[in-house]
Amino acid sequence: MTGLFSTAGRQNARPAGVLALVLTLLLLTGCATAPSLSPATRQALPSMALNEVVPFHGQRDYQCGPASLAMALEAAGLEVSVDELIPQVFLPGRDGSVQPEMLATVRRHGRIPFRLEGDFATLLDELAADHPVVVMQNLSLPAFPQWHYAVAIGYDLPAEELVLHTGMTPSRRIGFARFDATWARSERWAFVALPPGELPADANAESATRAIADFETVQGSEAALPAWQALAERHPDVATIQFALGNARHATGDADAAMAAFQAAVNADPELAPAWLNLGIVAADQDRLDTAREALSRAAALPGPWQSRAREERQALETEDDA
Amino acid sequence: MWSDTEPDLPRDTRNAIMKRLTRLLSPLLILALVIGSLPAIAAVPAADQGLVGTTTLLDAQSSQQDRDKIRRVLAREDVQQQLLLQGVSPAEVENRVAALSDAEARQMADRLDQMPAGASVVGALFAVFIILLVTDILGLTDVYPFTR
Repeated sequence: MTGLFSTAGRQNARPAGVLALVLTLLLLTGCATAPSLSPATRQALPSMALNEVVPFHGQRDYQCGPASLAMALEAAGLEVSVDELIPQVFLPGRDGSVQPEMLATVRRHGRIPFRLEGDFATLLDELAADHPVVVMQNLSLPAFPQWHYAVAIGYDLPAEELVLHTGMTPSRRIGFARFDATWARSERWAFVALPPGELPADANAESATRAIADFETVQGSEAALPAWQALAERHPDVATIQFALGNARHATGDADAAMAAFQAAVNADPELAPAWLNLGIVAADQDRLDTAREALSRAAALPGPWQSRAREERQALETEDDA
Repeated sequence: MWSDTEPDLPRDTRNAIMKRLTRLLSPLLILALVIGSLPAIAAVPAADQGLVGTTTLLDAQSSQQDRDKIRRVLAREDVQQQLLLQGVSPAEVENRVAALSDAEARQMADRLDQMPAGASVVGALFAVFIILLVTDILGLTDVYPFTR
């Protein structure tokens, strides 16, 4: 018997043990402190937001993935049932749904999944813009994870509370601190599902471009065109977006508008060889030979993976001219 | 099968025949599989004849090289197999894989096993009940609704 278990020691053992447990847990998980929102962010946000249009679907068994998707898709103007979504996203072998397939299923239903990047403020921005946000949480500790999807539909800044459609509970209020602790364990994974033409409140040009391009691969250029249009309006000076808009317009048969977009792309970035190349190809198709010749020469002069293709196209144009 | 037709063959001979058969068949099967997957691999660059595509440019900008095309096709086939093993119905599997982006397909091919699968709010094991109860009260977790 050591001193710790002597009569005097035993009286202190229990509180000491509890203290040790609490300290260990705090060390393991970090403190649940409220996410810091700068005063400027607080000022810019409305003090309350609640999207009451978002329908609620209670989850059965392990099906929070399909249930969350149904809520988000219905809010984006689709009629879709949980039962229809289960075979499309649920993984029977895992008793759950994985993140990439959540995004893929949104695409299948003609809506664009935009991942949220960043912090708590980004989430509140989307809620203030009336976009319901699908979030992934680990409700438990990292050592015994309990992964869960829920749909955030609003917040209350003065009360420091978030409003979630989660599990079997519609509009559950949960403190910012507790929510952020569970959300941080998924590395703050979240997305909004929007119809083409609508953009997230905080759309970062690069990631939004990727999101729309991935959507276009699945649903085609006609479906993606409004999204490119909207993104190009929001970021008129980003060459890649103008380039993508040009491709979508060309694919839907609008050659003149496509050339205008490629022209805008090279105005924004004269080094963007594929934009010169595409401009040249479309112009040649349209018998705008001067434009075509100039664009293809610019493309052929830029080193990179498209140089040889540009030279071939220019060569073809010259031979055609001579004939 | 062998014993039905030629019951008198000694075991050694049977093994030898099997071995020779395997040696003959394996290369043939490998060849058949490789040839079978060629059209899929060849089809991807063929699509590049028109304009430079948007994803082609994005991939080039994010330094994902052209050689990845073969890996992309293989990744999708791999994911398809894994989904079937996880109990997804064969009728759905193709549509599910088709809706994935290239990056997502690659992620799933690489690490589906370790991916978190969002499931439910059902209670945790009793062994961790007490710990989670404490952390719930501390506001670190959100497992038991009755703590609020």
